[in-house]
Amino acid sequence: MAPPQKPDQEVTAAFTAYYLQRATTEFAEDLDKVRAADDFKNDALQILVSALQQGTAMFTPEEQKRIVTSAARPAGKP
Amino acid sequence: MGKRFSRGPDGAAASRKRQKVVHEAPTSEEIHASRQLQQLLAFSQDPVRARHGLQSFKLFLDELLSPASNDADRPRILRDYLQFARPADDDENAVYLPDLMQAWSYAGQTNNDNVMSAVPVVLALLLKLLSQSLDTVPYGLGICRTLLQKRQQELIARNLSADKGKAFIISPTLRMLKEAVSFDGGAIARPMFRARASMLKSLARNMGIVHIGDEAEDTKRPSARTNAILFFLSALKFLHPEAKKELLSQRDIVSALTRDVKQDPPYLVRELLEGLRSHVLLDDKLQREAKASLLNASTLTRLSALYQYRLDTAAAEGVPSIADVAHEFLLTACTNPACGVLRQDSGFYPREIDPNAAVPTTELEELGLEAITWTNKFKTEVPVRNYTLSNFLPNLRPWSSLKQSELITSIFKVAPELVASYFLTNKSFTFEPKLSATWIGYAAFLFNTVTLPIPDYFCRATAFPELPPPTSIVIDNILPLPLNQKALSRSLANKSNMISFFATRILVVAIEKLDAAIKMHQDPSHSNRTAWAEAARRLVDEFCQRSPGIKEMINSYRSIPGGDVLHREAASRLLRLCYEVLPQVALMAKFDVSPFLETSLGRLSKQELDDPRDFALSLKELENLLAIAGYSPGMRWFAALEALSLSPFTLLLKVCVDAPHGVALETIREVLNFVAVEQQLVPADNKHPGLIALLEALQSLRQSHPDSVTQLWPFLDNCLTRCSNTPVKYVEKLQETIQEAAETAGQGFSTAVASPVAMAMLEQLPFVAAKEREQATLKALGRFLPKFLGFSATAGESRPLLSLIFSKMVIHLADSKGKLAKAGVPEGLEIKHSPWPLTPEAPARKAKASSAARQEGGNSEPGMDAETLTNTLHMPDGLEADNSALVKWSSKTVDELVDEGYLTSLIALLVSEHASIRKEALVNILKAAAKIKQSEYEEKEQVWLLLSELAETARDKVNDGPLPSTIASFACHALHVLRDPLSSLYSKVNNFLTRGPFWTLDRLPLVDEVLLEEPVVGDAYYAQVNWLLEYLMDGLRTQHDLELFHKKRARGPVFERILALAANPYMRLPLRTQVLRLLYRATGIEGGSTTLTTRFGIVNWLEARQAGCTDDSEEAAVYGGLRRRVWETCDQDRVRVWSKGALGDGTDGTSKN
Repeated sequence: MAPPQKPDQEVTAAFTAYYLQRATTEFAEDLDKVRAADDFKNDALQILVSALQQGTAMFTPEEQKRIVTSAARPAGKP
Repeated sequence: MGKRFSRGPDGAAASRKRQKVVHEAPTSEEIHASRQLQQLLAFSQDPVRARHGLQSFKLFLDELLSPASNDADRPRILRDYLQFARPADDDENAVYLPDLMQAWSYAGQTNNDNVMSAVPVVLALLLKLLSQSLDTVPYGLGICRTLLQKRQQELIARNLSADKGKAFIISPTLRMLKEAVSFDGGAIARPMFRARASMLKSLARNMGIVHIGDEAEDTKRPSARTNAILFFLSALKFLHPEAKKELLSQRDIVSALTRDVKQDPPYLVRELLEGLRSHVLLDDKLQREAKASLLNASTLTRLSALYQYRLDTAAAEGVPSIADVAHEFLLTACTNPACGVLRQDSGFYPREIDPNAAVPTTELEELGLEAITWTNKFKTEVPVRNYTLSNFLPNLRPWSSLKQSELITSIFKVAPELVASYFLTNKSFTFEPKLSATWIGYAAFLFNTVTLPIPDYFCRATAFPELPPPTSIVIDNILPLPLNQKALSRSLANKSNMISFFATRILVVAIEKLDAAIKMHQDPSHSNRTAWAEAARRLVDEFCQRSPGIKEMINSYRSIPGGDVLHREAASRLLRLCYEVLPQVALMAKFDVSPFLETSLGRLSKQELDDPRDFALSLKELENLLAIAGYSPGMRWFAALEALSLSPFTLLLKVCVDAPHGVALETIREVLNFVAVEQQLVPADNKHPGLIALLEALQSLRQSHPDSVTQLWPFLDNCLTRCSNTPVKYVEKLQETIQEAAETAGQGFSTAVASPVAMAMLEQLPFVAAKEREQATLKALGRFLPKFLGFSATAGESRPLLSLIFSKMVIHLADSKGKLAKAGVPEGLEIKHSPWPLTPEAPARKAKASSAARQEGGNSEPGMDAETLTNTLHMPDGLEADNSALVKWSSKTVDELVDEGYLTSLIALLVSEHASIRKEALVNILKAAAKIKQSEYEEKEQVWLLLSELAETARDKVNDGPLPSTIASFACHALHVLRDPLSSLYSKVNNFLTRGPFWTLDRLPLVDEVLLEEPVVGDAYYAQVNWLLEYLMDGLRTQHDLELFHKKRARGPVFERILALAANPYMRLPLRTQVLRLLYRATGIEGGSTTLTTRFGIVNWLEARQAGCTDDSEEAAVYGGLRRRVWETCDQDRVRVWSKGALGDGTDGTSKN
């Protein structure tokens, strides 16, 4: 069965959300340190989020689709 | 010192002191009738009375203007009065409101500030009121025209240029002018502008009279500046383009307009930006120059200060903040060419240079890029056309504001010339890693800069110019200056994972951009191909100097925690890109991908990742690693490391079978199939569908009996490993079975096909059956094998042959009731799980296409044209003489001597044509050896030994002629090995050096050792072969060298062995190409091609190689092209005679058969 199709915009949004979630998990410790830094003010949070999600540009739309449309595993998992 | 006295006896000093201005509030009365109004406003020399009248009128007008006003009498009273005050003759000199004008004039004469202020106050209100109704417009126009009369003009000028402290005079006058200029849709704007000497008097100064105080300016009491700006904006709105142009050319006004914009109240800033945007920026009729005179660097800089605007009150929802409005304004101003700031540039070609300049071909050939005068000129400064933007950009702070970062990158996008110059002039901000918001902001900005596209054809035109762009500018766009080797290396190695992640991502996009730039340099449409090719080489060199070494990238990848799939994916992608774009650099690192691949496979096969998206991302990492494995020659697919029970190949198969539903696996399947064909697990036949049957059987079994699949892996791994280790054995077994089938069933088996791996399973089955504790496996096999053979039949293998194999298998399977034997190989199985990219038709189509391509090239075989062949196979002379090496080395340190090539240049001089140079070189080599021996250099003993042995070898020969190139080349390449004790050749070179004090001149050192002996390190064989081919390449330059290559030796001439080497089916394209380069080099030596043809049958060899290229038409074309070159450069008569006419029949030397 083919994986469910999602429109492009939805795919991008879903992928960006996933990317951010992964990044915040992987760099949780570093992010805490940045938040505690002296220069963390004004736009800083916005910059941080935008900087993290920039990386989505490295994935082609097809790659993004491949990742976000990976459905749950079949029941017969060993 | 005397006492100071006052100057005059009559107290005149008192007048010198500033008199305290006391504003006495004027009296007023309510107006009920037109007649009363006439009396009130009738001219009086009594200032109190005059003020009383004016103040009453003001209050009357205020009431009328108030939205709550509903008194029906008042408009009538006003109209009656206006009718009364209207002049009899409505001509140009007619004076409306003569009493008011006279009062104003008289106030001017008597310096009555209060009245001078009160008259414009009422006039402003009156004009505002009159503009609201069509009936009253004629009165208003009359008043406006009255204001344009000489007397009034003088009064206006006088009011406007009142003392700075008298804002109460200046402000109402400006308000009045604003009403006048916009009255009736700007009806008198034109004549007002003609009277600009009075109307715009002191405008710039008045714009500087700002509100003073800590709190924000009161909207009801606007400052003179606010009024001045509103008047200016109204003028802009209603003036015609020519007048606007002149207005904007008044530098003092333009400058004053934005000088204090930071302190202006929010509503004024909004009006200012909106006004300038509508009436200047987006006014199509206004000339670009006029816009440019407003939008100079200092205006832009002042407006950019609004990014930090502090007076913005919490705006209502949906209303953009001042910072947003300013951002939009600046974006439009700086990126829309119609706004007058942005100028068309030529991309990576700086101002002042002509990219199509004619450079004589001979000079280009001789000097390369150095023949272009400007090629190295822009390393420290880049002249630009967009000087306004270039001056403006340094004032922005992209690291602390998202919008400013966006503004700069948007400008870079439309004016690519600015990138290099921006970073050259802003060197103060470094990329030194630090876990702070600023560093992250800067990294994000740099990432965006690197991802900007390369301008079309480098110059934003429609075709490539004649000459390549300056390399320094291209590299500054790929890795901007702050991204230097030191900063990037430190970021990669930083203990904070996030910092190394950011650096990795920047490098990924940078290499992708480099790749695009290289491809543009290699475009076939270039006319000066050599120059472009040299520029591409320089670009790669420059990149390598700025980028961290691959070892640092590998170390960074190694240090990433296992669960960080996002980071691992990025780091593996970076390595993969290095292999793809910079293979020469990547291969030098001797990176063994196997452990990484195994870790990744292990993690995936253990299914540690709960989120299927994480699994898919890890699969991307695996794909990257597989790609790297494809590029590195030493990958061992069938050797399990201690940590893992299965071989990498089987693990990959397992990952593929166990992958969550919906994950795309095409790439992995392609790799599996490629390896399976290469290792002869399945027939290397285009019609054979490869591994599909095995995969399909496993997936089908996994659905019905998941536990059985788990049981199968060790057995499968064993069979696959055996099959790959001794493929011939199983191919032979298969032949025997085919023979047997043919004997029992008769004909029809000559073309029967089955996979050798099936034979391996058949062979191993009895061993499983024999073991008591393997019964579960046996049961699983009972389920798997019929499926596997059934799918093999569906996939196109011979059913009778498979049935025969199955009948032999069934004996060992747990089939007590004979069910399996009865069922036989199941029929009609459908392949559902593996939508295989290589369906049986696909390769056939591909083969057809490539044969069609062959047909297309006329009747001849595919062959590269001479130029492309040269580009592909020509290598520069590695031993090119540089006589200056004789003197250069002496001033260098030992490290520089060895590492930076001074020593190799010296060694290369031993092959010089001139005896004197050779002698000099010999003496200098001995001196250098002595210097090294006395130094602290770590490998000094070995290097000294190498140089001494070389000198000893050359000593007697130096007078007779050049040393064989092979010897000099060997010495140079051996030196590289000695520098690096981790080199896999280190022990071989050292063994060679300790063997004797001098070398035999006509032998080629280390050839046997590399080709025949096992490498000390497991997978270093191909790396060593690569080294050998490089050294042989540099050692083949003259006829004498050629003799050494074809001289008979115990194990055959060197050429013969090299040709045999290329036939190794496991050797990858880069090494095969090295062999072809060596052959190409030989064809360039006199007699080379003839020798290759008559002694080594090179033509047939090339034909056979070409025929073997079933799926790579480009490689086939290289063989074809090389064959043509052999024919063109050989002694054709002799070859014809030698081949008894078999060669040279056609023009390209194709053999007849």
